[in-house]
Amino acid sequence: MIKQGSHAYLLAWCIFILIVGVVLPLGARQYQISILTEVIIFALFAVSYNLLLGYAGLLSFGHAMFFGTGAYTVAIVLNHIPGLSFFSAILLSVMVTTITGLAVGCLLLRHKGVPFALLTLAFNALFYAIATKWHSITGGDDGLSIFRPDINIGFAQFSTSGITAFYYITLLTIGLVMLFSWYFTHTAMGQTVLLMRENEERMKFLGYNTNVSRLILFVFTSFLAGLAGTFYTLFFQFTSITAISIDMSTIVVLMVIIGGTGSFVGPIIGACVYIYLQDFLSDITDRWPFIMGLIFIFMILYLPKGLSGLIDSLAERLRGRWHLSDKVEIAE
Amino acid sequence: MMGEIPVFFLHGLVYAGLLFLVSSGLTLVFGMMNVLNLAHAAFYMLGAYFSYSVLYFTGNFYLSLLVCPLLLFILGALVERFLLRRVHVFGHVQELLITFGVAYIITESVKWIWGNYPLGVNLSGFLTGSVNLFGLFYPVYRLFMFFCAIFISLVMAVVLYKTRIGIIVRASVDDSEMVNALGVNVPLVFTGVFGFGAALSGFAGVIAGPLLTTYPGMAAEILVDAFVVIVIGGMGSLGGAIVASLMIGELQSFGALLIPKLSLALMYMLMAAVLIIRPSGLFGEEQ
Repeated sequence: MIKQGSHAYLLAWCIFILIVGVVLPLGARQYQISILTEVIIFALFAVSYNLLLGYAGLLSFGHAMFFGTGAYTVAIVLNHIPGLSFFSAILLSVMVTTITGLAVGCLLLRHKGVPFALLTLAFNALFYAIATKWHSITGGDDGLSIFRPDINIGFAQFSTSGITAFYYITLLTIGLVMLFSWYFTHTAMGQTVLLMRENEERMKFLGYNTNVSRLILFVFTSFLAGLAGTFYTLFFQFTSITAISIDMSTIVVLMVIIGGTGSFVGPIIGACVYIYLQDFLSDITDRWPFIMGLIFIFMILYLPKGLSGLIDSLAERLRGRWHLSDKVEIAE
Repeated sequence: MMGEIPVFFLHGLVYAGLLFLVSSGLTLVFGMMNVLNLAHAAFYMLGAYFSYSVLYFTGNFYLSLLVCPLLLFILGALVERFLLRRVHVFGHVQELLITFGVAYIITESVKWIWGNYPLGVNLSGFLTGSVNLFGLFYPVYRLFMFFCAIFISLVMAVVLYKTRIGIIVRASVDDSEMVNALGVNVPLVFTGVFGFGAALSGFAGVIAGPLLTTYPGMAAEILVDAFVVIVIGGMGSLGGAIVASLMIGELQSFGALLIPKLSLALMYMLMAAVLIIRPSGLFGEEQ
């Protein structure tokens, strides 16, 4: 599913997205900026999901358990530890999620394919049950509210309460993490996972411990999802059981399938399209999830490579036509 | 506390019957087609909602017991024929995703058509009463549910083990390619079994409707329980589904009686224990 040897192309994409991300909010309305923040957060969530599905070929229906763990942990630490700084809260939350990912991964990665998908769903239900029942810590159905602490870097202090300020913090942090995960997919480790999906037996014969590689990838994706969840809570200054529910897992599956599992940027496109489509459709009709479902089925049946696949094939087509006209000129 | 034990034991049996009706279709389809049908619980929910509508218009519960499974058989067969089969060549991930999409659309349609709130199904006649079981008053309807489950299971056992169709189905669970090579129209069998699984699930939904509330979240609720059942019992094993349904049914029931705060976690703890000791389930084939 993932193409090799398109580094320059991907890097160009990343830089393009970053520039757009920096320039776009200048002069935009507050509402547009908050939508954009949401897009960035969900783009990270979708990218982390696609590392599982697109790169490792592991279909999970419970990715919200890590998103939700991140979302809850940051809310809990901010509520219980007074004077905790902005980045320490994020760090703590991400650490907890990563450890959770390790524990869950050890248990679930004994399975592959269909049983794995089923178990992720069951574990997500378990996490959801814990979040609903453990009222004293998680607030149950009421959720948890937080205040965003200011950023203090010794000589200077930034306020994070403004929408634009928080947008730039999100863009910077998540942008860097996203670049790192793009880099990760091009390290020997990332490539191992890719090759394992294609031919695991062979990788075993070549002396790779495929189970360890898969576990590392799983933990890495839980870290990314946890970070996305952390920012989700910081953004809304509130977390509720939606963050850890199977509905949240559903949303990320929809995003990734709409965007396409075939490339690194696919999920980013998917998150973008999903959030804007949701914003657009929910103004028109209350039945927008139904339309999302239809789009999803359509994608699976007719565009299994998603929107990024569609863009790729259109680009190939155009390029092919140009090449053709070049050739004709040479022949003349 | 002691006096409540028989009651909770019976409650557990009733829920086990319901779980078996749902999980047997799931495990049969998985055993045969290697497809985990995520829309299975959505069919269960549709059964309950169809039954609500049949009762609303005709007031006849027995009619809905007949009509709803039939409708779901047709729906299931259509889903298999026109959606699942088209993505079969792309592999399991796509198959899972398509059933996931169907489940999502069904849930949203239910919210659209019947509304996003719980509906009550009212029964009349002798089903609403209680019966004296050795000095213990027990609702007739729960007993009725349990006997329905037993009856359906017996019919299924007879069909699977005593008829020609049953032989073909069991053989396809074992090795569908070989059965296909022997001249049986296996794709047709797949459509039939998928439809049959949907009908079973729908039947479970119809009988669950009056007891449990009919609401758009009911699918997700039973889906997870049914998944836990087939993980514990072993995927593709009917015997395993019976044993695991009984275990989960009783566990849920006594968990609610003895340690209400942890009753939900008990089920997952049992599943985690089975996964660690025997990853392929109690009756599953070793991989």
